[in-house]
Amino acid sequence: MSGKGGVGKSTVTACLADGLTRLGVRTGVLDADLNGPCMARMMGVRDHKPSPKNGAMIAARNAYGVPVMSMDMFLPEDETPLVWEASSQQGAYTWRSMVEMSALRELLSDTDWGDLDVLLIDLPPGAERLQNLADLLPDLTGAIVVSTASQTAMTVVSRSILMALNVANVRIAGVVENMSTMICSECRCKEQMFIGTEAVEELAERHGVPYLGAIPFNVTLADFLETGRSYIEVHAGHPAANAILDVAQRVHFWLKNQSK
Amino acid sequence: MALKSTHGPFDGSMSIVYECPTCSVQTAMLTNRAETQMVRSLGVRIGGRTTPEEPMETLRSNLASVQEESPEGPPSGTGGKCPFTGMVNDAIGAAESEPKKPVWTAEALARIEAIPHYIRPMVKRNVESYAREQGYLEIDEDVMDAVRGSLGM
Ligand SMILES: Nc1ncnc2c1ncn2[C@@H]1O[C@H](COP(=O)(O)OP(=O)(O)OP(=O)(O)O)[C@@H](O)[C@H]1O
Ligand SMILES: [Mg+2]
Repeated sequence: MSGKGGVGKSTVTACLADGLTRLGVRTGVLDADLNGPCMARMMGVRDHKPSPKNGAMIAARNAYGVPVMSMDMFLPEDETPLVWEASSQQGAYTWRSMVEMSALRELLSDTDWGDLDVLLIDLPPGAERLQNLADLLPDLTGAIVVSTASQTAMTVVSRSILMALNVANVRIAGVVENMSTMICSECRCKEQMFIGTEAVEELAERHGVPYLGAIPFNVTLADFLETGRSYIEVHAGHPAANAILDVAQRVHFWLKNQSK
Repeated sequence: MALKSTHGPFDGSMSIVYECPTCSVQTAMLTNRAETQMVRSLGVRIGGRTTPEEPMETLRSNLASVQEESPEGPPSGTGGKCPFTGMVNDAIGAAESEPKKPVWTAEALARIEAIPHYIRPMVKRNVESYAREQGYLEIDEDVMDAVRGSLGM
C-alpha cells in the first residue's frame, strides 16, 4: 500500500512475487485496484480469461507459476472502464462502493488459488481500500508500504502509515523504497533519482517500522514484467535483480517472524 | 399490508406508505439518500434462487460492459427485480422526466438581455416558472407580456 499514486506499488508487487517465488515461498497476486487494474498485465497474464471450475474461478498462472486474479481479466478491452450496472450512474455512489466491496470479497474468496504461503494484494492509491481489506480479512498479516524519496510522496505515505497502524490496526511489514536510483543501461552506473539518500529509511525509522530496501528505476523493467517471466532469473546478477531479491528476503524474514 | 402510495424522491429521500386492508392502519417507510440508491439498484428476485450460486456472481453480473456482450446474462430492467426496486425506479424516472425547461425564442431572449443584469436571473426564473405552470414549452414575447400582466407590471 501507499497513500500516494504512481509510486510503484504494482511494480513492487510484481517484483516481490518474483523474489518470494525464488525463495521458495508459494506466492499469489490479487489486484485490489478495481478501477485501475494492471496486475494481469504486469504479471504477464493479460490474455487470460477466467473460467469457473468446481465452483471457483481459476486464477491465471504466469510463466513462473504465480496465480494472479485481477479485475482486468473481466474487462473485454484494455481501455474498457470499470462500470457497474445500475439503472442510473448518477447518484449511485453508495451502490458503487457496495458492489466494489462485494467484488473485492469475491475476487479473494471465489478464486481457486491453489496452495499458497503468501497472497500479495496490490492496493489502489489512498488509504481507504486497506481499511476495507482489514474488514474482510481480520487475520491480514500485514501491509508493505511503497514510497519514493520524493517529499510529496513521503508526506502522503506517512499519513497512510499512521492510518494503517492506528485506524485499520494493520501491522506494517516495512517500507520499500522504489525508484531510488537510476541504473544506466550502458555502464550500470547509478544516478540518484530524488534528493535525500536516506530519506525513506528515516521515514521508516520515524514510524518504527522496518526499511525493506530499495528498488532502482530500470527503463526495461515495465516491458519485461509484461512477459510474465522472472526478472531475477533472466537478469541474474543485474543490480536491479539483486535489489529485488534483497527486498524479498527482508519481507520473507518478516513473514517468518509473524508466523512464530 | 398493501402498498398505498409513494412520495418523492425529494432530495434523494422517499417515503412509501403501506396500509392494512382490514383495519386501515398505515405504516410509512422513509429511505434516506443512500438507501434510495441501494434499493434502486438491487437485483433482488422474489421466490428464492433456482440456479446454483456461481463464483464471482456479484462481480460478473454487475459489470455493465460484460452485460452488453452477453444477452443471456441475469435479467435486467424493472421486470426481473423486486417490486420495491421497480417502484423506486418508476418514481425517480417520473420525477426526472417531469420538469422540462421551456425554450426561449430569440426575441424573448433579446428582451431579457435588455433588463439590468442584477435582476435578470430573477426575472428569467419567474418567467420560466410561469411558463411551466401554464404548460408553455416555448417562451416568446406573448408569454413575457402575460407574466408582466400577472405580476401587475
Ligand atoms: N523501479 C521501476 N523501474 C522502472 N519503472 C518503474 C519502476 N517502478 C515503477 N515504474 C513505472 O512507473 C509507473 C507507475 O508504477 P506503478 O503502476 O507500479 O505504480 P502504482 O503505485 O501501482 O500506481 P497506482 O497508484 O496508479 O496504482 C509504471 O509505468 C511503472 O512501469
Ligand atoms: Mg497500481
